[in-house]
Amino acid sequence: MKYAIGLVLAGLAFGQPYDVLLKGGHVLDVANNVDGVRDVAVQGTKIARVAAEIPAAQAKKILDVRGQYVVPGLIDLHFHAYGYSGALFPDDTALLTGTTTVADAGGAGYRTFEDFKKKIIDVSSTRVLALLNIAGNGMTGAASEDNVADMLPDKTAETIRQYRDVIVGIKVAHFSKPGWDALKRAVDAGRLADVPVMVDDKIFTNTGRTSREKLLDVMRPGDLHTHMFNDRQVEIVSRFNGKVHEYAMQARARGVLFDLGHGGGSFLWPVAVSATKQGFWPDTISTDLHSTSILMQQSDMPNCISKMMLLGMDLKDAVARSTVNPAKAIRRFPELGTLGEGKSADIAVLTIRDGVFAFKDSWDKKMLGSKKVEAVVTIRNGKLVFDADGRGFPEWSTAGNYEVLP
Amino acid sequence: MKLLVFLFAAAALPGADIYDILVKNGHVLDPANKRNSRMDVAIVGNKIVRVGKELPASQARTVIEAGEYYVTPGLIDIHTHFDAQGASLNLNPDHNALRSGVTTAVDAGSSGADNFEAFRRRVINRAHTRVLAFLNIVAAGMYGTKVEDDPKQLNVERAAAMVKQHRDVIVGIKTAHYQPADWIAVDSAVKAAEQSGSVCMVDFHPKPGRGYRELILEHMRPGDIHTHFYGRLTPQIDGDRKVQPYMWEARKRGVLFDVGHGSGSLWFRIAVPAIQQGFLPDTISTDIHKNSVMLPRATMILTMSKFLNMGLALEQVIERSTVNPAKAIRRPELGTLSEGSVADVAMIALEKGKFAYLDSGFGKLTGDSRLRCAVTIRNGQVVWDEDGLSVGDWKETGPYSNFK
Repeated sequence: MKYAIGLVLAGLAFGQPYDVLLKGGHVLDVANNVDGVRDVAVQGTKIARVAAEIPAAQAKKILDVRGQYVVPGLIDLHFHAYGYSGALFPDDTALLTGTTTVADAGGAGYRTFEDFKKKIIDVSSTRVLALLNIAGNGMTGAASEDNVADMLPDKTAETIRQYRDVIVGIKVAHFSKPGWDALKRAVDAGRLADVPVMVDDKIFTNTGRTSREKLLDVMRPGDLHTHMFNDRQVEIVSRFNGKVHEYAMQARARGVLFDLGHGGGSFLWPVAVSATKQGFWPDTISTDLHSTSILMQQSDMPNCISKMMLLGMDLKDAVARSTVNPAKAIRRFPELGTLGEGKSADIAVLTIRDGVFAFKDSWDKKMLGSKKVEAVVTIRNGKLVFDADGRGFPEWSTAGNYEVLP
Repeated sequence: MKLLVFLFAAAALPGADIYDILVKNGHVLDPANKRNSRMDVAIVGNKIVRVGKELPASQARTVIEAGEYYVTPGLIDIHTHFDAQGASLNLNPDHNALRSGVTTAVDAGSSGADNFEAFRRRVINRAHTRVLAFLNIVAAGMYGTKVEDDPKQLNVERAAAMVKQHRDVIVGIKTAHYQPADWIAVDSAVKAAEQSGSVCMVDFHPKPGRGYRELILEHMRPGDIHTHFYGRLTPQIDGDRKVQPYMWEARKRGVLFDVGHGSGSLWFRIAVPAIQQGFLPDTISTDIHKNSVMLPRATMILTMSKFLNMGLALEQVIERSTVNPAKAIRRPELGTLSEGSVADVAMIALEKGKFAYLDSGFGKLTGDSRLRCAVTIRNGQVVWDEDGLSVGDWKETGPYSNFK
């Protein structure tokens, strides 16, 4: 007890109420209208203060982030952490790229969710959320994903209600049979559980489905179409005249959301250039990161943000579509996606590098750009988990016979 | 007529000039063949067919302009943990290895005789990276103190038999984490290596009566590898940071010293003075796992960058990441750009600026250089191409089409 009091007194004596202080960075916290140089102080697992000048003496650990952008931890709504054959661990992929929250897009269904929770969600440092697959066995191939008999809205909704803290929506994907059964069951489950549905669908096969019908008649406001710059899963740009379809505009007007979902097959420069020139941008920026896309297209969040900037989006807007917008889409705003005082200390520090960089699409074609966004620091739940340039630590030669440094 | 003559001339060229990939005009660093100059590297199928000056580019299917890069053999990391669905802390091999230019990764004892075959099925047989393994002398593998400290788990005959049965991918025996103050684990591992004609890699925790000096001078054989040798656990330097005489003696008798960076085994306060006294690693390796990949950033290319900034020459760094590890695991056909060898190639950029690196204790080293792997070719395929050097511009895609 004496010891505890001593510690408290020491803290007060040295005036160090904060554990971590990010000093001098340009804060982009769109939800709170912050767009300028601010200091950000973290205490425990929470953001304690965002202000123009917080004295360095008040913090135990200070990171000089002058010239860098301090943003809410990025939120990737389309990630693969379980079930899918190309699934990745979240920590060595998301956290190292400034991404503190990922939503696994349909790896697990109601039959496999608890295994997913035990093996990945509960043991990852990344905040891992889930879009539960309408297929009972999740994203494990056609035997599961084409099996309408095991797409059960009530079972799916029941699992969601039971794990409402980590399941944020429903995923339907890869359905290759004709008709609307899979999608409609997913939407039914979405109604029952009151959550959004993320749709990845096949058209231009013999499915008999059309983008127009899907976007206007089946999907609800708040449901998300992922892979928006693909040409096989949804047609936003007419393949005949290059114009954004009227029905895509109408769908957006009625509240259907369009998600990037880059991946290995779903980001095509000609489609993205054409759509964005006509003002059709993604509501949410997401990666569809898996074992192929991480190597071939490098479609992590900073890469996707860089690509949007190359198409003409500014950084602030791209950050909004990687923080606030996804948080809202999964109804976790303002709990997530802001640097508001009292919120979870999930923070990314981004840098913009100048040079000549190649950005590759899913057809293995590149567009050259002169700016590249990279994450240099990630703080998750108050803990410094990634620090590319060692800002938070002393030079070894000044640290004596050091053990693990705090 | 001219065209005909030209066609005839082209047809008369030897077939070997039709390359699948031509890596053009890079600075080739191939220590095994003492190459250190601007050259072209030509690949047909999964083999390197020619390395030479000004090879004809006109008939190459893919030309990679490498003028701004070093071209090296695919890197070899002999201390990794890549049984992703197995022992805790293990990672997926492909994105962690190939992005660093590592084409051969040796798993250091994540699995033992009980579970190696499952590891082989789910990872080794499926990865793009060439994944090899040191088999843990502990039959249950790296599954915690309870099995790793249990002498009943140390079955020499079973381990040796497993090595022989999977000789194509198992390169040796690993002992690690053993806490009881006896020599049973080390001696069993060495014996299993002896019986299977392979190498022993040792992770060692000294105890009273079980000293480091005896380990490297008496228990390990020439060619066996002490990993983590810049760690805190073993007394490689004295209180004045002077390298112990027995380190030199062990090196002289052929014991190999491997970095095995990890979360606890690369300390600048130990490595920098040792390097200044000339005690360099024989092999650079990462001990990459779920923890070491985070703050310490123990990837191969960044671990190599740390050694570059601690004073090694680039040639020394590459040698310790290619030919030396290949020899250490007795795979001399790897780690070279010899004509006829498997086309495992890395293209590395040496960037200048102000960079900082953390060690296992989060001590920071500030330096002026950073290595970055731009291209990795594994078995003749471009599997990593950060700078888009092997692909065309998007405008070549042609009109928007639903069909690729």
